[in-house]
Amino acid sequence: MSEMLAVRPVRLGSVHSVAESGQAQRSAAQPDDREIGRRFAAGDEQALALAYERWAGQVHGMAVRAFGPGPDAEDVTQQTFVSAWTGRAGYHPEKGPLPAWLVGVARHKIADTWARRDRQRRETEAAVSDLQAGPSGRVTAGVDTEIADRMLVLDELDLLGQPQRGIIELAFFEDLTHAQIAARTGLPLGTVKSHIRRTLERLRTRLEVDGAALHA
Amino acid sequence: MQHCTPEQLALAALREPLPAEDSAHLASCDRCRAEVRSLQRSVDAVAVPQLAAPGAPVAPPPRVWEAIAAATGVSATPRADAVHAPAAVAVAGAPTPPAGDADVLPFRSRRRSLLLVAAAVLAGAVVGAGAVAVVQGREDGGEPVTAVALDPLAGNEASGRAEVVVRDDGSRVVEVELDAPALDDEYYEIWLIDREVAGMVPLGVVRPGTQTFELPADLDLGEFPLVDVSVEPLDGDPTHSGVSVARGELDS
Repeated sequence: MSEMLAVRPVRLGSVHSVAESGQAQRSAAQPDDREIGRRFAAGDEQALALAYERWAGQVHGMAVRAFGPGPDAEDVTQQTFVSAWTGRAGYHPEKGPLPAWLVGVARHKIADTWARRDRQRRETEAAVSDLQAGPSGRVTAGVDTEIADRMLVLDELDLLGQPQRGIIELAFFEDLTHAQIAARTGLPLGTVKSHIRRTLERLRTRLEVDGAALHA
Repeated sequence: MQHCTPEQLALAALREPLPAEDSAHLASCDRCRAEVRSLQRSVDAVAVPQLAAPGAPVAPPPRVWEAIAAATGVSATPRADAVHAPAAVAVAGAPTPPAGDADVLPFRSRRRSLLLVAAAVLAGAVVGAGAVAVVQGREDGGEPVTAVALDPLAGNEASGRAEVVVRDDGSRVVEVELDAPALDDEYYEIWLIDREVAGMVPLGVVRPGTQTFELPADLDLGEFPLVDVSVEPLDGDPTHSGVSVARGELDS
């Protein structure tokens, strides 16, 4: 997203934003976020440690918000950084900042955990009803539609280019209106609206095609 | 009337309020409503607070890094103190919502609370203004005026009041009373902004204290109802910096 923001730094001009003052407080010896992103993508191990220093708190904050403090949240944070590292070939610094990408990975891990819990619950229920119904009345452990939809949407978001992805993420996850997205990104209102429209159509298609397949 | 445009229906799927005509049409048109519902499935799938932009950071316990190091075989180590006191880094330049707020927001009732958080760095979030008063029949000339409180945005200390006064010759001025800390190498500017945030009328440089600004003749205040105070850097750029510290909405 801040890739788009960087397009129009003047409009953004967050001279007083928390982000930048936080940045300024860091010692000059510390590489900036962009540099960490580049080194992370290049496989520099130190960059993983630096990314963890800088963004593990945010990722873990999300995990705790989803699951409360404890093993589930810790697993999400751990898995987020492990898959980010092993899947770093999928991170392209020129398409957006590393923390935004990490947050995207964390969303997947949270949705995966919900899906896993749901599957376990259904398997338990299915096992119970198998016992009750005998071998003839098998119940298949399906997937909850909303949980499946969520994973499909997150997956499709990963496939979007910029600025489409940034725009729809501002709408979905930061609850901004199209006018605010236009103000934030410096893109014309009409452009924002038509990207929103096309992205929602694309997501609808994905859900109709793959969602139906999942439930077939 | 005609059907809503595809773009309007997409905005409706995001639960943005539509212009009155469109929303009236939508209420009575099955076809448009069906379209909104079909687009809304993906919106609803991820409209849960758990997936919203990160809020307050929480430091993970040391064993989380140990597990990551074990799984990846990475030998570099983060500084423990850095992880335990994470900087309030906003992902993607987004403002970090205040601690404790993010996890209680009812995300499905869109377009409200998060806006307030975002307002301070946006060049024009439409914020529900605080006390808006219409004072009529002024003693000193009997001209109707509109007054609006300028409320601080997102933890800023700036606040004040703006009053539209019609003078005897028919011209209009805005009297601004600004209560805000003095700035170094920056200045305050006052703006009138429209609801679409597409248009902004700069009224001028404003200092803490009381000042009067002439309004352009024929400027429709109904069209630019937001009175906005920004902080501008001395960069020579005439556009809004995007940093608003106080705002109010004129009652037109």
